[in-house]
Amino acid sequence: MPKLRTVVVVAGAAMLVRRAMRHRIQASPLWPIPALENPTSGRPRSRALRLLVASRETVADGVVQLRLEGRDLPRWEPGAHLDLVLPSGLVRQYSLCGDPEDTSSYTVATRLIEDGRGGSREVHEQVAEGMELEVRGPRNRFPLVDAPSYVFVVGGIGITPVLPMLRALPGGTPWRLVYGGRTRASMPFLEEIEKLGGDRVTVVAEDEDGLPDLDGLLADTAEGAAVYCCGPEGLIAAMEARFPQVRLERFTPHTSADGNGAFEVELRRSGRTLTVPADSTVLAAVRAELPNTAYSCEQGFCGTCQQRILEGEVEHRDELLTDAERADSMLICVSRARSERLVLDM
Amino acid sequence: MSNTQASERVALKARKVSFSWEETPLHWVPGDPFTTHTINVLHLLLPAGERWFVHVYKQVLPYIRDDRLREDVIGFIGQEAMHSQAHDEVLPHLRELGLDPTPYTAQVDWFFEKLLGDRTLPPGRARRWWLMERVAIIAAIEHYTAFLGNWVLNAGELDRRGADPTMLDLLRWHGAEEVEHRSVAFDLFMHVDGSYRRRVRTWATAFAAIVFLWQRGARFFMENDPTLIDGKASFKDLYVRGRRGTLPTTGDMIKSIPRYLSHSYHPSQEGSTEQAVAYLASSPAAIAALAAEKGAA
Repeated sequence: MPKLRTVVVVAGAAMLVRRAMRHRIQASPLWPIPALENPTSGRPRSRALRLLVASRETVADGVVQLRLEGRDLPRWEPGAHLDLVLPSGLVRQYSLCGDPEDTSSYTVATRLIEDGRGGSREVHEQVAEGMELEVRGPRNRFPLVDAPSYVFVVGGIGITPVLPMLRALPGGTPWRLVYGGRTRASMPFLEEIEKLGGDRVTVVAEDEDGLPDLDGLLADTAEGAAVYCCGPEGLIAAMEARFPQVRLERFTPHTSADGNGAFEVELRRSGRTLTVPADSTVLAAVRAELPNTAYSCEQGFCGTCQQRILEGEVEHRDELLTDAERADSMLICVSRARSERLVLDM
Repeated sequence: MSNTQASERVALKARKVSFSWEETPLHWVPGDPFTTHTINVLHLLLPAGERWFVHVYKQVLPYIRDDRLREDVIGFIGQEAMHSQAHDEVLPHLRELGLDPTPYTAQVDWFFEKLLGDRTLPPGRARRWWLMERVAIIAAIEHYTAFLGNWVLNAGELDRRGADPTMLDLLRWHGAEEVEHRSVAFDLFMHVDGSYRRRVRTWATAFAAIVFLWQRGARFFMENDPTLIDGKASFKDLYVRGRRGTLPTTGDMIKSIPRYLSHSYHPSQEGSTEQAVAYLASSPAAIAALAAEKGAA
């Protein structure tokens, strides 16, 4: 046990220090600790939001439009999408098609795909007005770039990311839209688009005109035009063959390199290269080489396994990182490569 | 040696909880701003503090030569990361209620990220010493988080006074996980270093820092609370709330000191794992997290 005298001396000294500091602290209450210039704590994250389904209406045959209401929602740029967490827990991406400046609601439209992966069926059959849905994002993988002119080729529900782009293009910018669909009645927003674009819009309904003649319609595409395509796989393949520089947005993840297959990871600092098989994770592969790699939840929410990306494109599957963080880092427990190869700083 | 004994073993895992704060009032212990703000200091210290735990523990993983301990540390890291995020999410809500915590949290961020960061000492032996010192500081802090966790699980007075259920669930979920993993930090410290002198030294550092930051945070909140005129925090308030049961009693706080410094200390002697696990089985947030996990699987 410490001697009584020591205790008295320490307590006395502490009281003197306290007295001396009290005056100084009263003058400026936050003295004397410096502050971090860009504080980390309390920074709003673009994490899950719970939004109210304020309206649900059928805007074309088989197409339901949802308006999701909230408060102070993050703004978004045309082309952005939202992750919707459906009641069953399925997560699906839907392009935003409302007004980017509206911070009180988000609008998405979805088509019922009978033989799809179940997401659209759930939206159509189980989402009702008055329900709450969890959403994440918005994020933009299909941004509107600056270009002298624009060509948009869309199939059916692929119009959703393009509609806000058309609205956002400054007047006088030359653009064209080829809008294909099965029947006119199944094509959402047709009226608004024809009014907006006039003769810049070519509507091709399959039951009346057959498939769009892309070669004919796009023969006079100007040099330097930004070409956008959003639609079914067939249309995307046709456009990729004609315009290697085309900007794409797919309905369903691209199956060859969407992160479901195997890919290669180079760990640059440790000078190793490894292969991540289709049924395994980056974390598992890395741990086989570097057993002391930190991780914890293995489900993409705790953030322990975050690593810096040096090269390559990532399919982010976590629920934590902000857009800024996603630009140069990933959670290796769940996220995968979109490209054939990733280079990590580890 | 009695202070390396194994406690009742539970596999530690991070629970993916979420809380919504829209309904929580500024004084979530009705009519008692002092208790509210004294507990609110947790939201100021923990986001940066627990992020720092994770940061330090990631670096200490290579020093662990025991697979079970490594597993526990990994579970601990995930739980701490979630605690940090959960408390962090209260901060924007406080700002909405007119009590902006940023001037204070920016300092706490500096404290943990710069002062207690990796570069405080030069590379080489000094830096390794610094890593061990920080591991020991965390063990000392965890003695207090387990103390507080155990307290909040048993603080029936907060319920009787109608405290906000969401906030109580956050505190008790967190408290229960702190009790659940209370041995990990100490076991890790004993495993990688374990020197008694270091234990005493780092306890003194951690205790002084906690007392300093806590009273400062409570004053900060009381002075900046938009609904209080001339809000003040004093030691007397703390003593009175302790008697009342809405904060830990002063006596218990003092008695916890010699326990940590005892040669035969082991965290398993504090609090009850059964109670913690039982709370986690009934916590609304933890149940929702479990349901979401099952739904996704």
